[in-house]
Amino acid sequence: MLNLKIHNLSSKEMQSKSVYKVPNGKLLKISLDYNDDIISKIRIMGDFFAYPEEAIEIMENELKNSSLNRKSLLKKINSVIKENKIEFIGLNAEGLTEGIMMCLK
Amino acid sequence: MKEQWRLLLTGYNTASVNMAIDRAVLVANSEGKVPPTVRFYGWSPPAISIGYFQSLEEEVDLDSCKRFGVDYVRRITGGGAVFHDAELTYSIVISESHPSIPKNIMESYGRICGALIKGLKNLGIESEYIPINDIVSGGRKISGNAQTRKSRTVLQHGTILMDVDVDKMFSLLKVPDEKIKDKLIADVKQRVISVKHLLGEDIDFEKTAVAMKTGFEEEFDVELVEGSLAEDEVELSKKFEKECFGARDWNHRR
Repeated sequence: MLNLKIHNLSSKEMQSKSVYKVPNGKLLKISLDYNDDIISKIRIMGDFFAYPEEAIEIMENELKNSSLNRKSLLKKINSVIKENKIEFIGLNAEGLTEGIMMCLK
Repeated sequence: MKEQWRLLLTGYNTASVNMAIDRAVLVANSEGKVPPTVRFYGWSPPAISIGYFQSLEEEVDLDSCKRFGVDYVRRITGGGAVFHDAELTYSIVISESHPSIPKNIMESYGRICGALIKGLKNLGIESEYIPINDIVSGGRKISGNAQTRKSRTVLQHGTILMDVDVDKMFSLLKVPDEKIKDKLIADVKQRVISVKHLLGEDIDFEKTAVAMKTGFEEEFDVELVEGSLAEDEVELSKKFEKECFGARDWNHRR
């Protein structure tokens, strides 16, 4: 839907944002810092629901150092959901993966 | 004899006090200190609440809030940004194990919204629950709701729009794309509706609250008995107001 990419010329660090309406779900907003296709920092924002809420910070930490590859990202997200018994409403692993990958477009 | 739940009428408060009370009741109920509780309240000054996962600065025009004297707060519940002005806000706190509360989160939204639908019917308004978290009348949103579950306890809070000023709302909220702001405002005007608009007359807070109280009693087959905050809840809400909802760290954390 919308993305904005900023290239910091002094390093390889890139910053990008995306806004993605999850099909049948809520609006997901991703703010991503990455370097050589590796996530250095991610913020997962939007008007979705997640139970427990604090698990979103676990997800953000777990995604650090993950590679920006759709297949491996989806696998990682699914494993974090399973391990931490996260229940999303208005968001799912596929939607979250899509929102992150949109930052690269 | 019908099961008795507590009814709290806490009047109008600031955003941080309102959110602190909901959280204090959640903690007190989870510790078995207070019965299931339904609360009706308003906001003074008017305020914007944002969902737990939203970015304050991306969603809210903080300069406009200052200019118009509008308060803001981050909720402990997910969901979207809400401008709380001419509305009745409710909250319900109840154990996850209460037989009236479905274990499934989506089903429990539907059940609790059932009380509001009955309340609206008491005002002469037909409405229905539309997942995920809306109540609509004639296809237009009249109520938004948000639920959290902590320590095996459910807190759901939400709004009944008594009147709505979409232009003012959008002067306080940011939109992802300024270029389409006018279209967005026109769309939202078509998609929301208030009790006042549907009834064709002004409606006050008390009358709405009485209708909603009866709605909760009908839906859950209970008696709501007016009570007050327990001493523990007062202490806890002061603590949450200071350390959480009134604190910059919390409100600006995303």
